Amino acid sequence: MAEQNNKDNTEFQSNMPQESVPDELGAAGKSLSEALRISFIILKVIMVILVVAFLASGFKTVGPEEQALVLRFGKIQGVGEDRLLGPGLHWIFPYPIDEIVKIPVETKVSLLIDSFWYHESAKERLSGQSRIRPTDPLKPLVDGYCLTRGEQRISPALISETQGDNINSTPVTGGSRQTVSSDSEGSDYNIVHSKWQLIYQIDNPEQFYINVLIPDVRPGETYINVVKGGVTPLLKSMFEDAVVSVMVNYTIDEAISSRDRIPRDVRISLQDKLGEISSGVKVVSVQLTQSVCPPQVKAAFEASTLASQNSAKAITDARTYAYNTISKAAGPVAEELFAALHDEAVSEETKEYLWSQVAGTAQEKLSGARVYATKVEKDAEANANYLISLLPEYRQRPELVIQKIYLDTIEQILANADEKFFIQTTEAAKDKEIRIQLNADPLIKSKKIREQTTEENR
Amino acid sequence: MKNFAITIFIVLIVVTLGLYLVSFQVRETECCLVTRFGKPIRQMTGPRERYALPYFKWPFPIEQIHKFDSRMRVFTPEVEETRTAGGEPIIVNTYVVWRISEPLKFFNSVKTVKNAEDELLRSRIRNTQNNVIGRHYFSEFVNSDPAKIKFEDIQRDMLTELKAAVADAQYGIEIETVGIKQLKVSEEVSKEVFERMRAERNRRVEAITAQGEAEKIKIETQANSISDELIAAAEARAKVIRGKGDAQAAKYYKMLEADPALAAFLRDLEALQKMLEKRTTFVVPTDKEPFSLLKGMPNLGPVEQNKP
Repeated sequence: MAEQNNKDNTEFQSNMPQESVPDELGAAGKSLSEALRISFIILKVIMVILVVAFLASGFKTVGPEEQALVLRFGKIQGVGEDRLLGPGLHWIFPYPIDEIVKIPVETKVSLLIDSFWYHESAKERLSGQSRIRPTDPLKPLVDGYCLTRGEQRISPALISETQGDNINSTPVTGGSRQTVSSDSEGSDYNIVHSKWQLIYQIDNPEQFYINVLIPDVRPGETYINVVKGGVTPLLKSMFEDAVVSVMVNYTIDEAISSRDRIPRDVRISLQDKLGEISSGVKVVSVQLTQSVCPPQVKAAFEASTLASQNSAKAITDARTYAYNTISKAAGPVAEELFAALHDEAVSEETKEYLWSQVAGTAQEKLSGARVYATKVEKDAEANANYLISLLPEYRQRPELVIQKIYLDTIEQILANADEKFFIQTTEAAKDKEIRIQLNADPLIKSKKIREQTTEENR
Repeated sequence: MKNFAITIFIVLIVVTLGLYLVSFQVRETECCLVTRFGKPIRQMTGPRERYALPYFKWPFPIEQIHKFDSRMRVFTPEVEETRTAGGEPIIVNTYVVWRISEPLKFFNSVKTVKNAEDELLRSRIRNTQNNVIGRHYFSEFVNSDPAKIKFEDIQRDMLTELKAAVADAQYGIEIETVGIKQLKVSEEVSKEVFERMRAERNRRVEAITAQGEAEKIKIETQANSISDELIAAAEARAKVIRGKGDAQAAKYYKMLEADPALAAFLRDLEALQKMLEKRTTFVVPTDKEPFSLLKGMPNLGPVEQNKP
């Protein structure tokens, strides 16, 4: 700029002699031409600055998360991929020829939806305690909720279908008692509260720009917030629509427990709806952050959960009992043995092997029997041998042998007897009765004796 | 030279200002109406289709332009209670996505967005809503049988009907979509629903408990029967074993035939001994041997040398 000024000055100086010398103007004229000269210079400078500023105003930056469209006299410029300008510095014709529209395509925006939640005052929300009583109704204007379908039961549904057809064919005027009942037949819907989170992103800047109403950015507002604010009412409405449409297809138990299927369905439904109106918005994710039964019926739901748990516990206990009982009966191989006994295909060898492995009561019975068998055989053998060995002596002195054996036995019996009473039989007492009080079981007579006997038993 | 540059500059400025007066641009997001002395003569629904050029008009006050934003707008009328075909009250909250499609008609009929919403959309939506919902039963909104739910159909019906109604009205408005964003029941009905939900849960509690109990009993009974059967089988085997033992023992019985009377005596004694082994109270008169000794000395002489 300074260079240019110098050039102008030299040019002016070279002209000076030609203009001023022949006319011989006075001092006043000289100063006037001086003033004109300076104002021309200033004007020139301003012109140049204006032109440069005008051209420079065509430089636009597109942020890293944005893409931009260029409008020339209102029409989107370029074909195909050229329609979108990526991040970086771009030059376009300055206003009013070209205009740039930046669209934040990379920004993922999260939107929380709690229109399906019951009304909570700020205090309740903070404390986390709601004061809803079981008898409180839901007010349609303040409480939000979804309807879910009832459990499917085959027979009533069939009845309602036939009834419904009849009523459809006849004009309904007032809604008589019968009509109302048949209308609600098969529609034993439930109510569920839910909270959602939606994350979306603009994936088609052109469609988005043309179709979605975004207010102008006013000073003090950031562009992304304006975009969010502009698109929220539309998205929120459509999202709620999608939720309502999807929820009627699920039962309340599914709504409370299924955190995958329902959000997936909502996402698909919402994406369809957004596509139908060419909004250029893509649903990134839908989350069902909370979903509960109404507080009014919470107690009943909890009771039902508790019943399920109790029932499950009872069944587990029963299984434990079953395991214990069967193990007690025949030990670890019990089940296998039982199956083998009922299966013709199982070989005798396997069965024998399993029998040899049994424990518990069955084992007791078997070993008892074995002991008995051995004992009975040995006893018989011993008795026989005893008789044979006794026989020679007995044949010689039968009376003495008998007496000895007899008395030995009596002695042993008396030695073992816990209580002994000997009754003197005299002639005088011949017709008298003797009464002795006996215990049914001599062992409970006294503790001392009992202790003695238990020791003996051991 | 210098004057020439200045002249060009000035001409440029004049031309630009002149163009400003006679040209205007319409963005992709707008539509526009040109009026000449207040009378609408032309409308544009977007920029020129083929060339990137502005539109031209006579300068103000001859011709004037009116621009409208033709992007989608959302309108949510007030929550309405309406009745289904069966007369059940139902509360729906609808939303409508609409746009200005024909600036001329729009300008002639309503002029502003607010007017359009208040005068046209509100009443048309109400009518459509009442008509469409009045044709369907409540059981078509929500039903135990998912196949009978016609919620999407109902919304589609509403869209078609509302589109037709708005097109008939010639307001230059187009409906993009319409939907139900809240589906509710009245306060009274919500109480009934709660009652039913509670009853349903209670019924379920009973069913679950009964089912659990039945399952429990089944498992236990099965276990008991398995156990009993195994024990019975074991007993059967035990009997066989005992039988074998008895058979073995029987071999020795032949040896007893040497003196059956003595064998019987020995057996009786053994039995007696076994029977009186424990818990015995013994009462004997002293006139029996050998207790007769308790009465007094026996009458013995040294005849025989036999010790008992």
